[in-house]
Amino acid sequence: MTSFDARGHHLTEVEPDVWELARDDEMRVPARVLASEALLEQIGGDKTLDQLRNVACMPGVVAPALCMPDGHQGYGFPVGGVAAFDAEDGCISPAGIGFDINCGVRMVKTNLTYDDVRGHEEELVDALFDAVPCGLGGGGVHDGNHTDLDEALERGVDWCVEAGYAVREDRLHCEDEGQRPDADLDAVSKKARDRGASQMGSLGSGNHFLEVQRVTDVHDDETADAFGLAEDQIVVLIHCGSRGLGHQVCSDYLRRIEQEHPDFLESLPDKDLAAAPAGSELAEEYYGAMCAAINFAWVNRQLITHAVRETFADVFDAPDWEALEMDLLYDVAHNIAKRETHEVVAGEDDDGGYSLYGDGERVDRELFVHRKGATRAFPAGHPDVPAAYREVGQPVIIPGSMGAGSYVLKGGDGSLGRSFGSTAHGAGRLMSRTQAKDEYWGGDVQDDLREDSDIYVKAASGATIAEEAPGVYKDVDDVVGVSDALGIGDLVVRTYPVCNVKG
Amino acid sequence: MLSSVLAVASDDDHSRLPGCVAVTSFTLRDHTADVAVEADADSLGGVFAALADGMAAAMADGDVPDAGERFAVEERAESREAVLYDYLSRLLYERDVRGVLPVDSDATVREVATGSGDTGAGEDGEEDASEWVVEATARGVPLSELHARDLKAVTYSEMVLEPRESGWHAYVVFDV
Repeated sequence: MTSFDARGHHLTEVEPDVWELARDDEMRVPARVLASEALLEQIGGDKTLDQLRNVACMPGVVAPALCMPDGHQGYGFPVGGVAAFDAEDGCISPAGIGFDINCGVRMVKTNLTYDDVRGHEEELVDALFDAVPCGLGGGGVHDGNHTDLDEALERGVDWCVEAGYAVREDRLHCEDEGQRPDADLDAVSKKARDRGASQMGSLGSGNHFLEVQRVTDVHDDETADAFGLAEDQIVVLIHCGSRGLGHQVCSDYLRRIEQEHPDFLESLPDKDLAAAPAGSELAEEYYGAMCAAINFAWVNRQLITHAVRETFADVFDAPDWEALEMDLLYDVAHNIAKRETHEVVAGEDDDGGYSLYGDGERVDRELFVHRKGATRAFPAGHPDVPAAYREVGQPVIIPGSMGAGSYVLKGGDGSLGRSFGSTAHGAGRLMSRTQAKDEYWGGDVQDDLREDSDIYVKAASGATIAEEAPGVYKDVDDVVGVSDALGIGDLVVRTYPVCNVKG
Repeated sequence: MLSSVLAVASDDDHSRLPGCVAVTSFTLRDHTADVAVEADADSLGGVFAALADGMAAAMADGDVPDAGERFAVEERAESREAVLYDYLSRLLYERDVRGVLPVDSDATVREVATGSGDTGAGEDGEEDASEWVVEATARGVPLSELHARDLKAVTYSEMVLEPRESGWHAYVVFDV
């Protein structure tokens, strides 16, 4: 297949697994989908391509607007969308980041093997479920007040170190060292703070989870060694975001854009793409509030890490978590926008825009890179990769469903030139939540996973288990295969679930 | 249709005849990653309340106990759609801060002249210098007394709020 048609869109395969959406009169730049044929068929089945096309119409967008292999329909922007906007002439869009600002994943290593855990699975999943607040109304690991909250918003993981919830090494193994210096507390509303104060260290629900996993396959020995990962090793994956605080920040600014920049909003192809013009006061305020919410999410995942470490020490009768060598591998965000400098080529058409590829002179340009359901995947040598991984490339964590494997990748050499240094973020949903509840029963899913696959699942809600059943997700192996083949995120290890806690 | 509930609203919208009882309904609809609620009612306030009850149904897992105190909220905004967005967002805020699931919602919606009383234009009024006001109550069921899941936020995605021959129709997608 060299072309693909769906819902009025025509795409041409410009190279293996790279599909270019034909540009219409309103699109300022071309759009590209990075996918296998099978994944593209699924992506073409909902409004993902409509939404990708709309993103390519936005002011200041730098070519190309992108959809990652796990893309699916979102609101405004597709989930799995990567879009870079010029920081001078473009815009920043809360809708291009999502309500759950800095939703992300972290992996914690252990010195345990699968044999050490076998026989303890039920005790472990029960203890983790008790230790980590999940669902609605369970509070947080830290009984927060507004003073602590403000510190967390401003300092991120650095506050956790001071408060005894983290060690310095945790900071050094976190994207941006767990702190966005551009955080602006004054830009965060009282409502957002009110919501965050009672949720410091909580999983939430939906697709968020805490999973104990075992490493089943090592695909790149040298990098796995550099990451401290080996076959049969037990690791813990934590997936959650900025909870009500981040959701409120996004809602607040969507409404302010509507009120303060109605003409700009009117010029966009879809109201859901709500954006503030670069350089406007509102764009700066939103960026400051978003960075504070990013810090909050890092604190959230760190507090959960603290609870997980203490729980492991209890269950495995260790003097402390250090004895179990529960070091942080890495923490990556997959709902985020950042000011980043990328090499681009000045456009040749009347729009005068910029492009990631082309034959012209390459210049450094500051961009707002939006990753909505996409993970930064910077390669070895990039100055923004933490020192601990600069020689090998940053770890990229791609979770699968609770019945499938997850993957650790490393930022690929092709990522900067193909995808603004980005790759996929997960398996991507295939089925709606309502359809999932129609087709699955939470209790049956739980029983099947335990009896057939030795996976122990515990959740606050049976409906959540049904909604997150393995069958509702795309094939994560295929997603990761595309990433690896394109060199945007290279395969390092595969992991498989042992215990899963859901909200 | 995956879920449907008939509820009774008791607002005092202009669109309903005196003495009539408002009938509202909602349905949870398919959406790839999120949840959508479709609602119909014979008044604007009724459809707001039905959407709120649909939102609660999307969060509740199993039966909702007959517990909790009623609380009131008021939101003002520049358009009908905006005040709907603010109203539903406010209920999510109250959920997190009060630690309750807002159910059995009841709402009244009207357009008022900015800074003064009612415009008298009714729900379809298009006059300048006015705003839309929703005054609502809900019963807050303590989250400790039921199993509930998070809905992150209200979205404008594919939002519909329009008059129909039989009253008002609305469709709202919520981010899960």
